[in-house]
Amino acid sequence: MSSRKLQVERSLVLFYGAFSFAIMFILIPIVSLFLFFNYHVLLKIFNTPILISELRSAFVTTFEAASLSTSILLIIGVPVAYVLARREFKAKPIVEAIIDMPFVVPHPVVGIMLLTAFGSRGLIPLNVEDTFWGVVLVMLFVSAPLLIDTVKLGFASIDVSIEHVARSLGASFYRTFFSILLPLCSRSIIAGIILALARSLSEVGALLVLAYFPKTVNILILEWLDTLGLPYAIAVSCLYLIVIFAMFIALRVVTRSYVVY
Amino acid sequence: MLYIEDLYIKVKDLEIKIDNLSISKGTYAILLGPSGVGKTMLLNAIAGFIRPLRGRIVIEGEDVTNLPPEKRGVSIVPQNFALFPHMTVFDNIAFCLKLRRLSRKEIERRVMEIARLLEIEHLLHRRPGTLSGGEAQRVALARAIVAEPRLLLLDEPLSNIDPERRLKAIELLRRVTRGRRLTVLHVTHDISEALALGDYVIYMRDGKILFQGTLREFATSRFALPYISLIERALSWLSSIRDVYSMRDSPL
Repeated sequence: MSSRKLQVERSLVLFYGAFSFAIMFILIPIVSLFLFFNYHVLLKIFNTPILISELRSAFVTTFEAASLSTSILLIIGVPVAYVLARREFKAKPIVEAIIDMPFVVPHPVVGIMLLTAFGSRGLIPLNVEDTFWGVVLVMLFVSAPLLIDTVKLGFASIDVSIEHVARSLGASFYRTFFSILLPLCSRSIIAGIILALARSLSEVGALLVLAYFPKTVNILILEWLDTLGLPYAIAVSCLYLIVIFAMFIALRVVTRSYVVY
Repeated sequence: MLYIEDLYIKVKDLEIKIDNLSISKGTYAILLGPSGVGKTMLLNAIAGFIRPLRGRIVIEGEDVTNLPPEKRGVSIVPQNFALFPHMTVFDNIAFCLKLRRLSRKEIERRVMEIARLLEIEHLLHRRPGTLSGGEAQRVALARAIVAEPRLLLLDEPLSNIDPERRLKAIELLRRVTRGRRLTVLHVTHDISEALALGDYVIYMRDGKILFQGTLREFATSRFALPYISLIERALSWLSSIRDVYSMRDSPL
């Protein structure tokens, strides 16, 4: 190796160091979680009717609520993202700041906000406390900025003249949107769906305040940590991680065919 | 024909005021002027992408000022050609024909016809990302013309083509638009495009039209002055080439 090349390699030591540190920082907790996993505890859960029923119900609630909230978000969020990417209006920075609010508001505060807004004594009394719709509402609220911001960047990256040409060739706004813009934005939309789902599946703080019941997996982990002890919480955590990981891999494989550009 | 009356457009700091603009049917009009004077903005207003604050835009006797872009019968070829990257060249050209719900056979016939005219038959199954500047220009032109527009808007269509292929592109533009008697409004800041293609010249500066008339009238107007040195240089270059060729061809 020439001395010049060696010099270049040496100057990158800091970057390689940061890279290794970042990977290890994320990997060590995951590995340690699985190292502490006790197979017998999981078997015990599976063999105890009350525990398995509670676990099954938590998994069903979590994935149903996350899928539903992401689907609703897709219908509402994509048009919002388009408007933010394409239109200029005076209040745009304020609207963008409002949409990004769930990023910065602490999770228990989100729960209290939703309680005061949509609780039985809230501004719009929808009686969502401790209901499935309460879970959906929390997930929708916390994941909204992730999908909207990701899709907004996707729309913004499409040259506006492509849209103009489609319109001038006789396509209505909606035809242009569905046959030109959505396919060109498919990569960003899929990324937005994955991020929104991930955020929904990881939420716990706001759920503790607004919708403790029906229990999601995260709430169940916290509860079992408190009542049954760490080994039970670890067993469920490992199971949850494996299911989420498998789901995201499957989602990426399935949606690959939808990425047209 | 295109007729514009008392048009006022304002987008951010850029304003356009046009008292009167008229281009008769079948004319190849060149909208000439320095960069940043509002030429593309005017094109966008004619195509319906910018709503004027005042005035009228009339195309072939129909007031289109308040019509959406898809109802104006105007095709546009933007500077970057804006081909749909997720479609093949065939699907790009067939886009407007599919919107009209023509039969598959009729779509194929029309696409093949325009592809032959523009010499792009061999590109029909390619994706836009794999085309050169000249090829992309021909595809964009085919896509715009196959729609049989009442008015064809070209926004600096030659700027993305390398100099060696520009002459061929100019020749092709002339042949296709003249052959179909299209009314064309071609935006450029390059006088050579006006000289090569224009029947009619509109000169724009600071958001206003300062001159409109035939190419001959423009050449003798004061607005041609900034371009004179360029034209002179081009002429002297041409005559020197002619000298070289005549020397080469002369029997020694």
